Amino acid sequence: MALSREIYSAFEDVVGREHISDDPAMMPAYHQVQFAAIVLPENTAEVQAVVRLCNRYTLPFQAVCTGWTGAFPKDILYIDLRRMNRIVEINEKGMYAVVEPYVITAQLQAELFRRGLHMNLKGAGSNCAAMLRGHGHLDQTTSGDDRNHLAIEWVTPAGDIVRSGAAGSTGAWFCGDGPGPSLRSILTSAVPPGVTPGVFTRAAIKLYHWPGPVQFPIQGVSPKYTLRQVPPNFMARYYSFPSVEKMWRAEIKLGENEIAFELMGFNVSMVASNITTSNEEDEKVFQQMQGEVQGPGFFVILAGNSAADFAYKKKVLDQIIRENDGRSLKSVEDPEVEGILLCQCIRVTASIRETFRAGGAFSSIPVMGQRDLTIRWAVGAGRAKEPLIAKGLIVDDGGAFFGWGVEQGHLGKTEIFCKFDPANPKAKEAVERWQKEQSERAFVERYFAMTMGPQDAVGPALANYHLWWRKVTEAIDPNHVSPEAGALV
Amino acid sequence: MGLEQYKGDMAMCCRCSCCKFIPLQRVEGHPYSTVCPSIARFDFHAYSGGGRLNIGTAMLDGSLEYTDKLLDIVYNCQMCGACGVSCNYAMDMQVQEPINEIRIRCVGDGKTHPALDGAIRRLRKQGSMVPASGPRGAWASGLGLKNIATARADVLLHVGCLTSYDKSRHALARAAAKILRKGGVDFAIAGDDEACCGGRAYQMGYERDFLRQARKNMAMIKKAGVRTVVTACADGYQAFKVLYDKYGLKKDLEVLHITEYIDRLLQSGELRLRRSVDLAVTYHDPCRLGRLGEPWIHWEGKKMPGDRFVFDPPREYRRGTFGVYEPPRNVLRSIPGLRLSEMTRIKEYAWCCGAGGGVLESNPEFALWTARERMEEAASTGAAAIVTACPWCEKIFRHAAASSGCGLEVYDIVELVARAL
Amino acid sequence: MIEKETLSKVVGARHVSLGPAALEAYSADVSFVNSVRPACVVRPKNAAEIGEIVRLANETRTPLVPVSSGPPHFRGDTVPGTGGAVVVDLSRMRKVVFVDRPRRVAMVEPGVTFGALIPQARKKGLRLNMPLLPRMTKSVVGSLLEREPVTMPKYQWDISDPLACTGLFFGNGDVFRTGQAAGPGTVEEQWKVGGMQKAPYGPGTASWHRLIQGAQGTMGIVSWASLRCELLPAIEEPFVVNAPEPGPLLEMARWLIRLRAVNECFILNDTALAVIGADPWPGGYERLRKSLPPWTLFYTVAGYEYLPEERVGAYLEDIAPLAQRLGLQPSRTAGDLSSGDLLKTVQGPSPDPYWKLRPRGACQDVFFLTTGDRLADQIDRMARLAGETGYPASGLGVYLQPVVQGTGYHCEFHLFYDPGDARERECVRTLSSKATRVLLDRGAFFSRPYGETAGMVFNRDAASVAVLHKLKNIVDPNGIMNPGKICF
Repeated sequence: MALSREIYSAFEDVVGREHISDDPAMMPAYHQVQFAAIVLPENTAEVQAVVRLCNRYTLPFQAVCTGWTGAFPKDILYIDLRRMNRIVEINEKGMYAVVEPYVITAQLQAELFRRGLHMNLKGAGSNCAAMLRGHGHLDQTTSGDDRNHLAIEWVTPAGDIVRSGAAGSTGAWFCGDGPGPSLRSILTSAVPPGVTPGVFTRAAIKLYHWPGPVQFPIQGVSPKYTLRQVPPNFMARYYSFPSVEKMWRAEIKLGENEIAFELMGFNVSMVASNITTSNEEDEKVFQQMQGEVQGPGFFVILAGNSAADFAYKKKVLDQIIRENDGRSLKSVEDPEVEGILLCQCIRVTASIRETFRAGGAFSSIPVMGQRDLTIRWAVGAGRAKEPLIAKGLIVDDGGAFFGWGVEQGHLGKTEIFCKFDPANPKAKEAVERWQKEQSERAFVERYFAMTMGPQDAVGPALANYHLWWRKVTEAIDPNHVSPEAGALV
Repeated sequence: MGLEQYKGDMAMCCRCSCCKFIPLQRVEGHPYSTVCPSIARFDFHAYSGGGRLNIGTAMLDGSLEYTDKLLDIVYNCQMCGACGVSCNYAMDMQVQEPINEIRIRCVGDGKTHPALDGAIRRLRKQGSMVPASGPRGAWASGLGLKNIATARADVLLHVGCLTSYDKSRHALARAAAKILRKGGVDFAIAGDDEACCGGRAYQMGYERDFLRQARKNMAMIKKAGVRTVVTACADGYQAFKVLYDKYGLKKDLEVLHITEYIDRLLQSGELRLRRSVDLAVTYHDPCRLGRLGEPWIHWEGKKMPGDRFVFDPPREYRRGTFGVYEPPRNVLRSIPGLRLSEMTRIKEYAWCCGAGGGVLESNPEFALWTARERMEEAASTGAAAIVTACPWCEKIFRHAAASSGCGLEVYDIVELVARAL
Repeated sequence: MIEKETLSKVVGARHVSLGPAALEAYSADVSFVNSVRPACVVRPKNAAEIGEIVRLANETRTPLVPVSSGPPHFRGDTVPGTGGAVVVDLSRMRKVVFVDRPRRVAMVEPGVTFGALIPQARKKGLRLNMPLLPRMTKSVVGSLLEREPVTMPKYQWDISDPLACTGLFFGNGDVFRTGQAAGPGTVEEQWKVGGMQKAPYGPGTASWHRLIQGAQGTMGIVSWASLRCELLPAIEEPFVVNAPEPGPLLEMARWLIRLRAVNECFILNDTALAVIGADPWPGGYERLRKSLPPWTLFYTVAGYEYLPEERVGAYLEDIAPLAQRLGLQPSRTAGDLSSGDLLKTVQGPSPDPYWKLRPRGACQDVFFLTTGDRLADQIDRMARLAGETGYPASGLGVYLQPVVQGTGYHCEFHLFYDPGDARERECVRTLSSKATRVLLDRGAFFSRPYGETAGMVFNRDAASVAVLHKLKNIVDPNGIMNPGKICF
C-alpha cells in the first residue's frame, strides 16, 4: 500500500529525497516484497527520526544490513542501513572495534590484519555485516553467537537511543553489560524468529590476535586465487577418520589442548566446493576425494604466534591425529590447495560456493550448543538421508553433516542439510518430511529443540521462553511498529 | 531469445551482495573495497548487479511496469561487468549478459533515454558516437599511411570515433601509427571510410544499430582482406573481438589491442624503447580491454534436469580471467625510467572509469563522480600520473583531474610509448 | 507478610527463623547500606520449596531477599531494602549435582562454596576459573551471578563466563531454565542422552542468563547453576614481574593475554599483595610489604596433556622478548614472596580470616571496569582522593584484573578500615562515595553498582534504566524481588 504524500514527505524530510523510494521498480530487488517504501538513513539520528515517524504513523518497519535472504511482511517500511558503513573505531589495545551496520566483515578484517588483529567470521561469508551476531569457521578461537558483542547502540521501537553497558554510562565501547543486569540479554540477532525489535545502529565487537601477514600474498586471477606461498607458521590440512567416534575424540583433544586456529568439521563435499571454480570441477574433485577419505573428518588450520609455538602445535596435532587413526587428505597437502583453503576459510568463508553455486534448494537443520550431543543426533539424521539419496530425491553427499568447535571445543555447531530440486514435488515433500522427523526426533530424544519454527509449538517445552519474549517485545514495542522479520545477515 | 534465455541465471541470484564489492580476499581495507559504481553512488540495492537481475526476473514474469525510476536504474549503469566478475568468483551463472539484455529490451520497448537517442541519431546520421566535425581521417594528414581502400595490408589500425573526431586526441592516433611504423608493421587505416565499431551503441542497448555497424565493418574488412584489426580503443577492442564474435560475425579475424601488439613487438625485439620517461604512474585497466575483453565463448546446450544448475554440455563462464591485463603492464615496465605502482582495484576487479554504458551521455555527473573516485584511488598510490589504454577512460579522467584539482597527470599508454621510442 | 506457619509447612519449622539474633545477622553487613531488619529468614532445601516461597510472596506481596553466600557480606545486596522482607537463605542447598570431565562443566546448588567444589573438580581433572581469593563462605552461584571477575582472563570469552545455565524462579513464580538447560525435557532427561547444560545462550535468541546476572536478586531466585570448568594443567609455571608503576605491567599483561600464553594473570599493588601473602599474619605483613615492589604482575604458563614441557617452553620463548622489549624481568619472587606460593594461594578460597578483613577488620571495595589507557589516571585520582579524605594512600590495596580476554580491566581499590572506629568508618564511607563520583567522570564503568553509590551510577544511564524497568515489570510484576536494590 502506498504511503500518503504527507507521510512520504515526512520521511523525505529526514533522509533527503534521494534516499527514499516507493517506486515499484525498486521492489524486485528488495526480496520481491512490496514495501511501503525503502529509506536509507545515514546515521543514528536519522534512524531515530525515522523510527519516531513510524510510531507517529503506526507504520511497521524493519531494518536490514546487507539483506542476504530474508522474510518480510509487505507494506512495512524497509530501513536499508547501507549508508551506515563507517568503521568508527579500532581499539587495538582494547581488542575491540566499533562498526556501523553496513561495514562488511571483509572490510573490517582487512583493516584489522594491518594491526595484527582479526575477528570472528560469519560462516555465511565475509560479505556479511561485521556487527551481526553469528558463527562461522573461526569459532574455535574467535567464539561465536552473541559472545563477540561488547557494547551495542540500539534505537528502540519507540525511538529511544539506548547504549548498553559502558557506552551508556561513560561513552566507552569496551563493555556491553550493566550497570546491573545486562541488556545484551535481549539484544539478539537479526535472524527471525526472536529478532530484537528496533534497530542496531552501532556495535563493538571483540577482536583477536592475528599472527599472519598484513595481507595474504594472493596471486592469480578470479576465480582461481592462490597464494604465492603459505605464510610462515601456518598450515592447513584435512583429516578423515575411520569413525565418528574417533573424529570426535581427535576434535575434542585438539580443543582441550588449544591447538587449532580453525577447526572446521567439513565434509569432503565442502572441501571440494571450496577449492573448485565450477560445478563440474566440484563434482569431479568431490568424487575423487570421496575415494580418498576413510570416513568423517575435519579441516584444521594451525597458526603459530612464533616458530616455536607452531612447532609445538604441529607436533601435538600429528600425535592426536595418529592416536585416532586419522589420515591426511593428500590433495590438501598440495601447497596450492592449502593456500586456497587458507584464503577461503579465513578471508572469505566458503558458504556461497558450498551452498549456492550448485543451485537448487536446500533445507538444513543447524544447531549451536554442546557439540558431542549434536553430533550424536546428526549421525542419525545423516542415516535418515540415505533412503532419500538412494531414491535420487536429494544430492548424494554421503549423508554427511558438518560443524565445528567453538571456544576450543567448549561449545560447537552442527548442521546437516539436504540439497534438492525444488521443482520436484516428491523431493520437496521428502525433504520436508525428513526435516520434520529429524527435528521431532531431536525433541523427543531430548537432544535439542529447533527454535526457528512456529514458536507456540516448541516454546512450551523450553520454559515458555516464547511467551516471555512476547512480553519483552510487547513492552519495548507498544505501538507494534517493529514486527518479527529480518534477513540472515 | 533475449532476456528469456537467462531466466534461470537470474533466479540463481541469492542476494549475497558480493556484486557490490571486489572479490573478498582482495579487499585490503575499507577504502577501495567496492566495485560497482552504480550502487556505490545510488545506494538502493536495485542499482547493484544482483538488483538488476531481480528486476530482469520481474520483467520476465510481467510483474514490473516501466517507470521513470526503472529507467533511472537501467541507464545509470556503466555496464562495466565488475558485478559479474565478483559474482562469478563463486557462482556459476550469467550476470552481465542478462544485464545487457535488460538494456536491449528497454530499447526494444521504446523505453530509451533521450541523450542516448541523441547519440544514436548521430551514429545513424554521421556514423559517429561523437559529433563529427571534418573528415574522420583528418588525424592522419601528412603521415602517408596506407588506406585499405587503395592498398593491401594484413593489419588494419582502427582508430575509433573519439580519437578521430576530437582534435585534441589526434596525437594519440598519430602516436599509435608511429609506434606500429617503428615496429615495422605493415598496416593500413580506413581513414575517412572508417566506420564506428558499434560497441558503444551495444552498451547503450541499441542492438540493431550495433549490428548494422558490425556488418558494415566486417564487410569492409573482408573486402580488404584484412587479417588483423588493432585498435587503441578498449570499446573498439571489445566490439571487434567479443561482440562481433558473439553474433557470429568475427570469423577468423584476429583482434589485438595496441598494447598487445606493442608487447608482442617488444618481446620479438622488433621494437625497442630506449628513451627514459621519468614518471611514477599507476595503470587503470579499461573494463572492455580487461574483464569484458576476454574472448566470447560459444556454447549451446541445455540445463540438465534436476536440482543442480548445470548444463549439457558443461557451460563455461566468462569470469574476467582472460582479459588483457599483463600486456599493458609489460609495456609500461619496458619503458625506461617509468615506475609502475598498482592501485587496490585492478585487473579483473578494476573500478570503472565511469564513461561506459551510455552514462557519459545520459548522466555526465555520475560519470564524473565515478572517475573522481578512481582519481582519488590513483592519487593514493603516490603516483604522479594515471595511465590507461582507452581514449574514453582518458577523456573522463582528464575531466576529473581538472575538476577535482587532484594534480594527477593523465596519459594514454601510447603517448608514453611514443615518448620512449 | 507470609505467615510463619505457612512458611514452616514449606521448609519445616526448624528452617524458619524469627529470633532477634538470626534477624540481626541479616539486617546489616560490612557495607554502608542502611540497616533494615528482615521479618524472618527461611532456609529452603530444594527448588520446589523455593518455588512455593516465591508463590506465597506474590500472594502476600512479601519482599524476598535471596542469599546464597555465608557471612560476612560486603555489598549490601543481601540487606533488605525495605521492611517486612523474608530472607531466603539458600545455604542448605549444598549439592554438587555433577562434575563432568568430558564436557568440562559442573552443576551446583546455590549453597556450594568454592572450597567445596574445588576438590570435587580436581578429582575429575578439572579446575574453576574463579575470582581472586573468595571468602570461605562465598557461594559459587553467588559469584557467577554477580559477574565477579575471574583470574584467568584467557578463559573468559564473555563477561558472563564461567556461568553456563541456570534453573530459577522468576519473581512472578514461574520456573525457568536458561540456556541449553531449558529443554526439551527435564535436566535428568537431558542427562540420559548426554546433554550437560553447557551452552549458555537461549532458549530462543535471547540470552536470558544475562538478565539474571548483575541483578542482585531482583529478577528471581536461582536454584542451581552450571558453570564452565577448565582442565587441570599437567604443569604450571608461575611468574611474577615487578615494577614501580603499573603501566609496563599492564602492557605486558595485555600481550600475554592477547597471545593466549598465560592462565592466571592479574596485577596487585604492594599493599594488596602483602595482605594476601603475609604469613604469619599480622607479623609478617609489614616485613613482606616492605620487601615488595610497588606493583606486581602475576601469571602462570601451563602445559596440558600433550608435551606440556614443550608447550611451556614455547610460550616462555615467546614471552622473553616481550618482557625485554618492555624492560621487565619475569622472576620467581616478588620481594619475599615466591610465585609458587602465590599460585597455591590463589587457586583456592581465602583461608579464614578472609584476607580483606585481616588488616583492619573491615573493607570497602571501590571497583569498576575500565580500559588500560585510563587506569593510570584513575589510580592516580584515587590516591589523591584518599589523601584529601584522610585515608593513607599507602593503605590502599589495588587489584587490576584483565577481563574478557583483555577487552577491559576490573579495577578494585580496597579501603581497609576498623569498623569499630567511627572516624575511620566515616572516612572510608566518604571516600567511597567521592571516589565513585569522581571516577565516573574519569571513565570508570561501574557495571556492578552496589549500595549507596548505585543510584549515582544508574542516574547516568536513564535510557538503559528505562528498559531495565520494563524487563523487571515482566519477570517480577509485583516487585517482590529484593526491592530497593540496583535501580528498582
